[in-house]
Amino acid sequence: MIPSEPGLGAKPAAKYRSQFRIYVDIMHVIQRENNEAKPTRILYGANLSHDRLIKYLEELKSLGVIQESGTDDKLYGLTQKGIEFMNNFRKVESFAEAFGFKI
Amino acid sequence: MEFIAFAIAVAVAYQALKGYKLSKERTLLYLHFSFVLLGTGLLIDGISNIVALFSQFYRGLLFLYALGYTINFIAQLIAYGLLVFAYFQQTRNAPVQFTAATAVLSVLFFERNAFAELILIVLLVYIAFQTAMNYGVNKTTNSLLVFGAFVSLALAHFFFLMFMLFPIFFPLAHIAQLFGFLFLLAMLLRVNQPS
Repeated sequence: MIPSEPGLGAKPAAKYRSQFRIYVDIMHVIQRENNEAKPTRILYGANLSHDRLIKYLEELKSLGVIQESGTDDKLYGLTQKGIEFMNNFRKVESFAEAFGFKI
Repeated sequence: MEFIAFAIAVAVAYQALKGYKLSKERTLLYLHFSFVLLGTGLLIDGISNIVALFSQFYRGLLFLYALGYTINFIAQLIAYGLLVFAYFQQTRNAPVQFTAATAVLSVLFFERNAFAELILIVLLVYIAFQTAMNYGVNKTTNSLLVFGAFVSLALAHFFFLMFMLFPIFFPLAHIAQLFGFLFLLAMLLRVNQPS
């Protein structure tokens, strides 16, 4: 299970993304890139600095939701676990959005 | 009708809990508890209606019917109050006093009377207004279904209010309530359809 930060919903204005939201954004970019995303595409797509991108990619790899491939040019793809997570997330997101709640 | 509405409320509560476990978003937890309370109230109301049928043979059972209605009423007040609070949290301008006032009123006016129904209508109109604004922004079928659900539930309570004057509104109120939960069921089925 991908960890999330409790209690962020009550913070004033959604200026800061939770760790959970950043994970989801990264995985969303990877899916958008047909499951073969270069780090630069993820960096721009998820709006992250290089250092933070490396940190989050390592964390997602250790969670088993993304995998690295390629030798010279690194490519990132979602694992089966990652794909299942994104499918569940989409259902939850559309359920919450139906009520007008943002996650 | 109450038992169908109960089953749908449980399904919505379950979906909200699944969402909370995945995202740890508090508003989904409020939504979960709100529908757990609604479901519990509806179940008790349904059972008390059956009891009311038997009360024709034994008058003492009428007390249980009144108790069932009261529990359902308090459950609804807290459930809708919780939803209103969730919307306040979401819009980040939480005037907590409004929800607190509702909680106090829910304790003071738990008998079946016009004022108590009016409190429910005010809460439901507020929720319907929020869901209407959400539909205005999202323009999705799911948000339209949720808006339709809360409009139907508000209408149901308006009909319950009118029932105190005209008995004909009683079945209409139950039909409107059922439609409200059927809208929610349609939304749930759409959300969970395979992608």
